[in-house]
Amino acid sequence: MGLIVVLLFAWMLVIAFLAFLACTFEDLESDIGSQSNPNSQVQLAAQIGQVNRFFNKAISGEPLSNAMYCATAGTIAWLLLLKLEPLVPGEEWKAAVLAIPIGVAVAAAINIIFSMSSHCGRTAAQKRFEQPIYLDVLYGHLLPIATHAFMTTFFITCIAYIQCNLGTLSGNPALNHPFALPLLGFIWGITVGAIGSSTGDVHYGAEREFQDRPFGEGKRVVYHGKITRYAGCGVRTQRDIAGFCAKFGGPITGMTFGLIILFENWRSLVGMQLGGYLPNLAASAGNSAVTWAIVMGLIIVIALAVVNYVFVRWVRKKCGPFVGV
Amino acid sequence: MEPILIILCVVAGGLLASLGAHLLPVGGAPAAMGTATGIATGTVQIMLGAAMTGLFTAASAATFTDSLLLVALSGAIGATVMMCVVMLMANILYTFGCGIVPVSGRVDVDPLTKEPQAPYKTPQTDGHGVPNCVYVSGMLGGFVGGFGGALMYFALLNYADFSAGTAAIGALAIFVPNAIIAAYNIRGTIEGFHDPKFKRLPFAMVTSLVISLLCGIMVVIASYLTVGGTM
Repeated sequence: MGLIVVLLFAWMLVIAFLAFLACTFEDLESDIGSQSNPNSQVQLAAQIGQVNRFFNKAISGEPLSNAMYCATAGTIAWLLLLKLEPLVPGEEWKAAVLAIPIGVAVAAAINIIFSMSSHCGRTAAQKRFEQPIYLDVLYGHLLPIATHAFMTTFFITCIAYIQCNLGTLSGNPALNHPFALPLLGFIWGITVGAIGSSTGDVHYGAEREFQDRPFGEGKRVVYHGKITRYAGCGVRTQRDIAGFCAKFGGPITGMTFGLIILFENWRSLVGMQLGGYLPNLAASAGNSAVTWAIVMGLIIVIALAVVNYVFVRWVRKKCGPFVGV
Repeated sequence: MEPILIILCVVAGGLLASLGAHLLPVGGAPAAMGTATGIATGTVQIMLGAAMTGLFTAASAATFTDSLLLVALSGAIGATVMMCVVMLMANILYTFGCGIVPVSGRVDVDPLTKEPQAPYKTPQTDGHGVPNCVYVSGMLGGFVGGFGGALMYFALLNYADFSAGTAAIGALAIFVPNAIIAAYNIRGTIEGFHDPKFKRLPFAMVTSLVISLLCGIMVVIASYLTVGGTM
């Protein structure tokens, strides 16, 4: 069967959509658990006498923890695939339908263990500041964290599975990615965490944690630690933070990862097409395919830089200089 | 196997990784609160994320080209695309999500566009968002770091005859200590090439040179030990 170029592009779009979903859920998971950078404020809050009902889990930097979940899920799924695929010759997708969710469920279980020990450990260490461990906060947040982590890890493992079988799915196994499923999971785990940490944290840290402070300014050093502890009705926990961040921070973070995956795969495929590498994988056209991909990448980079320049100019003109005190 | 080429590529890759990490606009935890300029995460985290994205594309490119330059450039462009999208989206999030204008805290006038910075800055903060000079520095950082990562991957794959997966893990393992050395040198936050902290670069470069040289020798030894088979 010959290579179907349209299928290659279609799978690329599927991967980009999965990436969008993965990073959206990753950001929301880190917001519910208060992982990563804004957690510094939750830890500081108790130290300056602001006893709070926030979930305090800082397992590690987001990239590394996500890489761990995705690599774990990828390894288990890969091992199961090795055993299950020979049982269903010609219909290997049936093995994937079983193997990927099982691998991801194990990763989600590991996330629960880490979240629990991290929250209890960190909060117990704040005993001298009279910060209690609220059991309802502990139990109430574990399931939302695990479900969001399950979604993230599931989508990343699906992306890794599609990428390491991309050639087979499109008609020519030579186009499969050279990395194995667990390694691709590791790579995208690192990247999804890096993006969730660098982009998504802003909406939770700069806005939600300081919602009673003026909108439209950077959060001053004197505000640090004085987080918003009360909701519209009652004391705030982080279960309502997912709802808030899902309206803007989560989707924007997801779009970041989705765009990166889209641009990266798109420029590679367009380069292969323009360089004459597709559809017959002509070895002599390899160099020209990579050159075209690099040129396409350069065009994307310059376009993004121009968009940012115009955007920053527009924002500065629209908002004007700082007028507060 | 070519020991001299392996060591040369690994040392060059390590030095570029360290230089790239210095160029990235890292705001750390304060940036997540809009208290510092740059990207709201740690040096190693964002550098690793960018380099990994570049490495993914470089690994694909290495399957159908033998050119070191093309593979390294593929990785460099991959990392740059990642940085560009992240910085643009961070700006959108700062602006529409938190109402914050991108402004540098280390310079009064943008060295590239000559836009004034000080009047737009919130008092008691060290800048916020990703203004234009910081954006350009981040692009350069992504390019240099991605180039270094892909260079090491190519050397490990083709000169040391590692398999694709081992070469990726090996390149990553040499990349991380170099980025960590940069993080120690930066001590928290840095805006890019216009930041006074950038002048500390020579210290990190010397340390990176030593680390990368050691790593290069280890790669050569590992490659010798597995002569006749693929590692």
